[in-house]
Amino acid sequence: MERAKMAEESLETAAEHERILREIESTDTACIGPTLRSVYDGEEHGRFMEKLETRIRNHDREIEKMCNFHYQGFVDSITELLKVRGEAQKLKNQVTDTNRKLQHEGKELVIAMEELKQCRLQQRNISATVDKLMLCLPVLEMYSKLRDQMKTKRHYPALKTLEHLEHTYLPQVSHYRFCKVMVDNIPKLREEIKDVSMSDLKDFLESIRKHSDKIGETAMKQAQQQRNLDNIVLQQPRIGSKRKSKKDVYTIFDAEVESTSPKSEQDSGILDVEDEEDDEEVPGAQDLVDFSPVYRCLHIYSVLGARETFENYYRKQRRKQARLVLQPPSNMHETLDGYRKYFNQIVGFFVVEDHILHTTQGLVNRAYIDELWEMALSKTIAALRTHSSYCSDPNLVLDLKNLIVLFADTLQVYGFPVNQLFDMLLEIRDQYSETLLKKWAGVFRNILDSDNYSPIPVTSEETYKKVVGQFPFQDIELEKQPFPKKFPFSEFVPKVYNQIKEFIYACLKFSEDLHLSSTEVDDMIRKSTNLLLTRTLSNSLQNVIKRKNIGLTELVQIIINTTHLEKSCKYLEEFITNITNVLPETVHTTKLYGTTTFKDARHAAEEEIYTNLNQKIDQFLQLADYDWMTGDLDNKASDYLVDLIAFLRSTFAVFTHLPGKVAQTACMSACKHLATSLMQLLLEAEVRQLTLGALQQFNLDVRECEQFARSGPVPGFQEDTLQLAFIDLRQLLDLFIQWDWSTYLADYGQPNCKYLRVNPVTALTLLEKMKDTSRKNNMFAQFRKNERDKQKLIDTVAKQLRGLISSHHS
Amino acid sequence: MAKAYDHLFKLLLIGDSGVGKTCLIIRFAEDNFNSTYISTIGIDFKIRTVDIEGKRIKLQVWDTAGQERFKTITTAYYRGAMGIILVYDITDEKSFENIQNWMKSIKENASAGVERLLLGNKCDMEAKRQVQREQAEKLAREHRIRFFETSAKSSVNVDEAFSSLARDILLKTGGRRSGTNSKPSSTGLKTSDKKKNKCLLG
Repeated sequence: MERAKMAEESLETAAEHERILREIESTDTACIGPTLRSVYDGEEHGRFMEKLETRIRNHDREIEKMCNFHYQGFVDSITELLKVRGEAQKLKNQVTDTNRKLQHEGKELVIAMEELKQCRLQQRNISATVDKLMLCLPVLEMYSKLRDQMKTKRHYPALKTLEHLEHTYLPQVSHYRFCKVMVDNIPKLREEIKDVSMSDLKDFLESIRKHSDKIGETAMKQAQQQRNLDNIVLQQPRIGSKRKSKKDVYTIFDAEVESTSPKSEQDSGILDVEDEEDDEEVPGAQDLVDFSPVYRCLHIYSVLGARETFENYYRKQRRKQARLVLQPPSNMHETLDGYRKYFNQIVGFFVVEDHILHTTQGLVNRAYIDELWEMALSKTIAALRTHSSYCSDPNLVLDLKNLIVLFADTLQVYGFPVNQLFDMLLEIRDQYSETLLKKWAGVFRNILDSDNYSPIPVTSEETYKKVVGQFPFQDIELEKQPFPKKFPFSEFVPKVYNQIKEFIYACLKFSEDLHLSSTEVDDMIRKSTNLLLTRTLSNSLQNVIKRKNIGLTELVQIIINTTHLEKSCKYLEEFITNITNVLPETVHTTKLYGTTTFKDARHAAEEEIYTNLNQKIDQFLQLADYDWMTGDLDNKASDYLVDLIAFLRSTFAVFTHLPGKVAQTACMSACKHLATSLMQLLLEAEVRQLTLGALQQFNLDVRECEQFARSGPVPGFQEDTLQLAFIDLRQLLDLFIQWDWSTYLADYGQPNCKYLRVNPVTALTLLEKMKDTSRKNNMFAQFRKNERDKQKLIDTVAKQLRGLISSHHS
Repeated sequence: MAKAYDHLFKLLLIGDSGVGKTCLIIRFAEDNFNSTYISTIGIDFKIRTVDIEGKRIKLQVWDTAGQERFKTITTAYYRGAMGIILVYDITDEKSFENIQNWMKSIKENASAGVERLLLGNKCDMEAKRQVQREQAEKLAREHRIRFFETSAKSSVNVDEAFSSLARDILLKTGGRRSGTNSKPSSTGLKTSDKKKNKCLLG
């Protein structure tokens, strides 16, 4: 290799020398200096001299040839040459001297030239180095920038820098070792960016999970405010309306929501634009949650070609979070706050998802979000069905309904279908009605239990107006009376009436915001009110009426009270009409059945009065103390019966305000019961013997009863109607006391028979008791003719009665 | 007819409206209590059979309306009563002051020698007491009658009061009445018993 180089150099040098020689030969003396200088520039001086000597010898040989050819000329020439030799010697000395001088002077120059050469070499090296570095420097700068970006968590710019570095800068300097190190590091850095971004995303997911209920709460509050605004607008046209104003709209949110101080924004142009859009949609959400991590992460994964992985991960995680959010707390049904928190979380979840839908390209799509909503809706409804069924407080159910309506309205704004929620609200309405009925059952029970069952006394015009204001009672006669005076009904009448109206209000309250027509609301209210009247109130009244210790006082007052409540039903109809604004003539309008309830209650109370009186009569009869064997006749009725009759007199005397028909029925029922009981007393098997004297004493008692019946204890009976209750006894006793058997036996079966109501079986039973008596006294009777005759007569009559009985039974 | 009791005693409760007469009777006869005040209209009664000194005594307890407007009706029952219980409310001084008026009413309308008993009801409401026990004891001594503080609500001294009165009536009349009517006796004796009973019943 080096030989080749030396050869090349020799050739070059030879050519150079030839050029110099030609130049010496052809150039004037004045220009020989630079020529000679060029010889000394190189290091080939020796060779040049050899070539010069060779050239001189050649020229000498040429000269000799010419001399030989041209002798004279030659001699002349030699002479000339000898001269020249002298001149040449001078010239040589001069040149040598010059050369020496030049050599001396040139030494410094050579040194300087050496230094210059060294400098030029260094400069070239530096220039080459600079050129190399100029290629490498951008790479290093990029890498440094990448490191800075990684350190400051600006991963998306870092990723861009990394991509740029890998594809643009590194290929240019790939042969350097440090570049290999960089190339090896790039995959690691890329993974690091992915991991850190994923970590940010997880933090983001945790953040939105944590703040879901705050976001939801804010959204619900905004929906509430919007609704209030709508209500204000709607109420404007009705200022002049005569329609009765509805109760105040229920307000769920009282306190202002505390806002968390917003996180510092990352410096990103893209986010600025998106933030503005976000502000318009949900101001609160942006204040609570920093969405930039999800955007950055999405971009990073897109650039890294792993967008699908990211989307799948995001959706998977959000589905998990959705299931967590949709898991209601076990005691959610205990308070409204339990429900509110649940709804806030759900709303917050979907507000975030809606935000993601509108601020990213394809991270979530409508299909995905609708699928999530489908699941959410079914789970929410199932949870609400379960938990609302535990509610026993109608106020809580009502608050829950308002909350559900707000929940539905809020999500509807974001484009989620909520019809199923309203369908479920109708189910809750039915449950609400049941809850109301239970509550009102308690209310009615309290009212009836605490009533004093006395007419309401009023001592002043003010008090009178107050009662009339509560209950629609109109009585001109009562109005004219001076104070103090009394209303005919007791306290529970206006109280029950008002509670029925409160119930109607409560039913109406539930129907608000359910998007029902007036007719639907009217129908629902009437149905619920019918249930209240025909079931709840009816049961309450029946329970009081059937109470073990119920007294005549209460029963009588209940009859009066229910009469007035029955009359008030038409006012309740008007009340419902005014409230729902549905005319009574509307087709298919449900009618109130309240009148039936009050009629039934009154009937039950009347029956109870009859039963109660009869029980009192039985208690008196248990005190009966007849001496069935007595031979003596007292001159007055038995003590127990006198007390009994006195009791009946005083009872009917004090209940002058009892409705006439009821009083008459009660009196007749009592008399019939008394007559039947007395008859049974006479005929019962335990009484085996009795005397005529005993019958006569018994007769005095029956006369006491008849006198009571004749005395007209209750007005309205025709003259002898009440006495008919005792006619069976009367005829039986007359038959025996007057011993009128011939008439009885002769007339039996005739329509106008004197003893028409005496049954022969009854007569025989009683006669047998007298016969036994006679038989026991048979020994004594033998000594008295009239006793013997009487015994024979009894036997005869008994025989005839048996024949009568058998002939009529065949 | 075989009787389920040995004696029938008629008792009458009187006193101001609202002192607790009806509640006392219901507690005694049915062992029940109803805190709602429902004023009695006219007259009513409850029956309960108790054992006193081995005798089965059927007590017919008459409940009267304390209101003035029912006075005519209720006083008609005084004569038939064998025992009269005067009731006042320890939380209502006026009802105690009116006991004197009720005593006067007894003297005017009831049989001579009728047994009397003084009851101060609502003794469970100590915080609202207006009538001191000593005052009532003094009044009872003046009239030579027994005295109990009762609570129909808490069932304090109710049975004791009625039993005490029944025992006193039995002591006064028991020696003169036969056990049952089924016992053989001469006509004369029977007549005599009946007449005496009539005198007692007034």
